[in-house]
Amino acid sequence: MEDFLNLILLRKLRTAWLMRKWLRCMESEFAEEFLETLLKLMSLVFLVNYRDFRRNIEGFNGRYLFKSRDRSITVSAVFRDNRMTVSERLIDNPDITIEFRNGRVLLNYLISPRPDILGSMLRQDVTPRGNLNYLYKFAYMAKRLQLMATGSV
Amino acid sequence: MSSIRLKDIRLTEYSLDNLELIRRLRKSQIGIMPEVCIERARHLTRYLKNMSNDEEPVEIRYAKAVNYFLSNKEPLFFDDNLLAGTTTSKAFGAPVYPEYTGMTIWPELDTISGRKKNPLKLSPEEADELNLEIYPCWMERNIIEYTRKKYNNPECMGLFEKFVFFIAGKAGTISHTIPGYGVALDRGLEFIIEEAASREKQIRDSGDVTGGRKQKAEFYRAVQIAMKGIMAYARNLSKKAAELAGKTDDPFRRQNFLTMSEICAKVPAKPATTFREAVNSLWIIQVGIHAESINMAMSPGRLDQVLYKYYRDGIDSGTLSDREAVEIMSCLWLKLNDNTNLVPETAEELWGGAGTVPAVTVGGVDENGEDAVNELTYIMLRVTELLKLRDPSMNARYHYEKNTREYRDRVAEVIVNTRAVPAFHNDVVDIATLENQGVKTAHARDYGIIGCVEMGIPGRSYDASSSIIFNLVSALELALYNGKRPIVGDERIGPGTGDPEDFGSFEAFWEAFKEQAAWLMGKAIELNEYFGLVHQEIYPTPLLSAFFEGPMEKGKDLIFGGALYNASGVTHIGFADTVDSLNAIEKAVFIDGKCTFAELVRALKTDFRGHEKLRAYLVNRTPKYGTEDPVAVKNSQNLIRFLYDLCQGHTNYRGGRYRPAYWTTTNHAGQGKLSGALPNGRRAHEVFASGITPVSQAARDLAACLRTVGGLDGLCIPMGEALNLKYPSVSDDEDLRKFASAVEAYFRSGGLHVQFNIMSYETLLDARNNPDKYPELLVRVSGYSAYFNDLNDAMKEEIITRTEYDIRTGRANPFPATHKSMLPYEEGGDGWKIS
Repeated sequence: MEDFLNLILLRKLRTAWLMRKWLRCMESEFAEEFLETLLKLMSLVFLVNYRDFRRNIEGFNGRYLFKSRDRSITVSAVFRDNRMTVSERLIDNPDITIEFRNGRVLLNYLISPRPDILGSMLRQDVTPRGNLNYLYKFAYMAKRLQLMATGSV
Repeated sequence: MSSIRLKDIRLTEYSLDNLELIRRLRKSQIGIMPEVCIERARHLTRYLKNMSNDEEPVEIRYAKAVNYFLSNKEPLFFDDNLLAGTTTSKAFGAPVYPEYTGMTIWPELDTISGRKKNPLKLSPEEADELNLEIYPCWMERNIIEYTRKKYNNPECMGLFEKFVFFIAGKAGTISHTIPGYGVALDRGLEFIIEEAASREKQIRDSGDVTGGRKQKAEFYRAVQIAMKGIMAYARNLSKKAAELAGKTDDPFRRQNFLTMSEICAKVPAKPATTFREAVNSLWIIQVGIHAESINMAMSPGRLDQVLYKYYRDGIDSGTLSDREAVEIMSCLWLKLNDNTNLVPETAEELWGGAGTVPAVTVGGVDENGEDAVNELTYIMLRVTELLKLRDPSMNARYHYEKNTREYRDRVAEVIVNTRAVPAFHNDVVDIATLENQGVKTAHARDYGIIGCVEMGIPGRSYDASSSIIFNLVSALELALYNGKRPIVGDERIGPGTGDPEDFGSFEAFWEAFKEQAAWLMGKAIELNEYFGLVHQEIYPTPLLSAFFEGPMEKGKDLIFGGALYNASGVTHIGFADTVDSLNAIEKAVFIDGKCTFAELVRALKTDFRGHEKLRAYLVNRTPKYGTEDPVAVKNSQNLIRFLYDLCQGHTNYRGGRYRPAYWTTTNHAGQGKLSGALPNGRRAHEVFASGITPVSQAARDLAACLRTVGGLDGLCIPMGEALNLKYPSVSDDEDLRKFASAVEAYFRSGGLHVQFNIMSYETLLDARNNPDKYPELLVRVSGYSAYFNDLNDAMKEEIITRTEYDIRTGRANPFPATHKSMLPYEEGGDGWKIS
C-alpha cells in the first residue's frame, strides 16, 4: 500500500526535488524558506518509507511550534501515531516553542557544520521555550536529513 | 611521620627506562581517541523501562538499577595494567549519563566522531541505540527537564539557560566530593552490607516501620543492594581474568590474569590485606561509584594516608618492594585516566579540555597535627613526575611549621619537572578556614582536595563544591546598566538600581553592585535548591552514601543531608576583572574626576571606539588588583568579605551553608568571550583572569602580587581558590630554592593555593602554532590540568598571556614583541601604555 501511494503520488520524486531545493536554500544568503522546506521534506521522507528515518517517529509524540520574531512565520509540527503533521497555525501545549529571528539563524542553530548555538541564544536569534530534549531530537533529525541530502549517510 | 625509610626521596632509580610495563601502558594510553560509551545508559534504561517497579521507593529502585548495571557490566581487560576494572566499556571512554547532560549530544550523534574540537568515536549502531532506544526514555526524566516541569519553568532556570549569569552545576553533576575508602578497604563491603542489614532489621523488628523509620529502612536496604552490585562486578572480573589466563601463552599475562582473578575474588567484598589488593579494591569501588554518580571530580582524596598501612605492612613483611609500589600506583594513575567526560561541541568551544578531575591529595599533617608525609607521598610524587598525565589532579598539602623543607622542595621539583603538577595547598590556612566552618579540628586536618582546589573532608563532608559557577561580571554589568545586561538584549533582568550617572559616590555604586549580586546569587541558589530537591526525589545516592560517615548512623542518604558535614560550593568567575573595574570607577569617576559615570558607560557601550584616550587612562592610571595600591587592596578585600557574607547567609537543602570559592576551570575564558567592555579598560570579548589570579600583565611585581593575594582573608574563602603563576624556567638549585621559598612566603602571608606553569611565552606560542610538536604538553588551567592541545582557542590565549615572572628578579618578563596584539596593554616605562 505504502509503495503504491509512493508511486501514485510521486513522493520519491518530490522528495528528491525538495532535497535539492533545501540544499539550495541552505546555501542562499537569507535561507527564508529553510524552515518550511525542512518541515515539508521531513514529513515527506517519513512517508516515503525510508525505514531508517521513519524509525525516528515510531511511538514518538511531540508538539513543536516555530515562530519567527516578526510573526510572519508560524508553523507547527505535531508527531503522533507515527505521523508528522505540519500546519501554519498555533497549537496548544507545545512541548517546545522555538522563536527565531529569521531562517538563516534557525538554520545556523539547527544544522550548520559550525553551529553557533550559544551565540544564537545570547543574541536571542533563537529562543527555545520548553523541554530542550525535544529540540535536541528535532535537531538530530534535521541533521540526519542534511546528511541524507548530501549523500553522507 | 617520624622518619622516611627511603634512601632517596626522589626515587630516581625508577624511571620509564626501567619500568618497561609502565612505559608500554602509558604509550598505549596517550593520544588514544576517546569513545562514547553507552553501556551504563543502555543497562539503566533497560532496567528502568522493563524491570523496575514504579511503586517501589525511589531509593531502592535506583539502587536496583545501579546493581543491575554493575551486575551486567562487561568485565574487560584492555591492556596489561595490574589493576582490574574499567570505568567504561571502551579503552578510553566517555560514559553517557542521560539523567544529567548526556542528551545534549543528541544533535551530534551522526557527526561527533568527526567534529573539530575533541571528537569522540561513536559507532553508527550505538548512535542508533542512543537515538531510538535510550534517549526517548529520558525525555522527561533528566534533571533539567524534570525540574523545569515540577517548578513551572522558573525565572532562575531561564537565567541559567542564558549561560552568562551563572551555571548551575547540579544539572550536570552533583558528584564533587571525596568518598572515604577506609572502612571498605579495612573491613570489606560485606561488612557494610552486614551493618546495613542489621540496622534495617532493627527497624523492622521494632514493629514501627512508618514515616521516617520506613525511609531509614529503605535506605539501609538500598545500601545493601548497591554494595552487592559492586561485588557482582568484582566477581565477574575475577571469572573473566581466570578465563583469559587460560587463553594466553604469555607467562607475564597469564600470571597477571591469575593474580587479578584472585584479588577480585576477594576484594572489595572482603578486607584487603596486601597493597595491591587495597589499590585494586579502591579502584573497583571508584568504578562502582561512577555507576551511580557522574564521572566528574569524584576525588580519591589522601591516598598516601589511606593506603599507607598496606604499603608499610608489605614493605615490613618483605612481600612488597618500592618498585612494585611504584608500578601499582602508576597503574592506578593510568586507570584514573581511562575515562573522560561527554561534552557537546558548543560547550567544547567555550569550556573544552577539562578531564574528569579526580583529585588526589598528598602530604600535609595528620589528624593529630603532625607531619603526615610518608614514603607513599614520595612514591606518588615520583609516579606523577614520571607519567605526566592529565589526571589525577595532583595536590600537595604543605604545612610550613610541620612538614620538612625536603618535602617542600621535592614538591617544587616535581612541578618543575612536569611543568605543571602538583598544585600546592597551604595547610595552615586551609585547616583554619575549615575549622571556621564548624569542622572539628581533627577532621579539618584530614582535608583533601576535590576536583580543582576545593577542600573537603574525605568520607565526612558532602560538598557539592561545583554547585554554582557565578559570573561576577554579570552583577557588575547589571549595576552599570540599571538591571540590564547588553549581551542578552534590552530586557531588564535584575532590579532597577539606578542610572550610573545618578550615583553621587563610589559607595552608591558599590551598593548597587551588591544589590545586583545579591539578587543574582539568590536566583542561582534558588535553582540549586530546586535541583537538589529533584535529586532527592528521583536520583538518590545510596551507593555513594555507604562510603561516608553519617548516612549509616542516621539512616539518611547523602542527598538528604546524611553526611557529617554539608555544604554547597559557589565559585566566582571574573574576580580580578571585577575588582579592577571597581578600582577604575572609583579612581576615574570619583577620585580623579577624569570622566563622568555617563561618559564611562558610553565608552563601554562602544567598546571604547572613539574613547581611546579614556581607555588609555583607565588602563594606565587606575589601580590594579595584584599591586599594593590601597584602593585595589580595599576593593578586593571588600569584595571577598561581601561574597562570603552573601553565600554564608544561605542554607542549602541538606542543612549546610553555601561556601564561596575562586576557581574557574575554563569558565573565565568562555565567559570573557561572552562579555562586553569593562571599566578597567578590558575590551569586549577578551578573556577574564583565571581563579583569584590578577589580570594578565597587571601585577608586574611578584612579591607584591603574592602579598596582596595572600592578604585576602582566607577564612572568607572556604571552598578554595586558584592562584595561577607562570615561570619560563627554573634552571638550577638556586632557582628551585627561590621557587619553593616564594611559595612558602605566599603561604605565610595567608594564601590558600598556588599552581604553576613552568613554560615561557615562546613555548606556549609555539605550541599553539605547532600543536603536533607538543602532543603531551600538560598545563594547569585554573585548578586542574589539561593537555594544551585539547583547550579551546580562548583558553590557550589566556594561558599564553598570563604574566610570566622571572624567578630570579621577581619581575614580569616582557611579552614577545611579535605578539603584543594579544595583550590588552603592555609594559612601558613607569606605567602602562595601550598596545
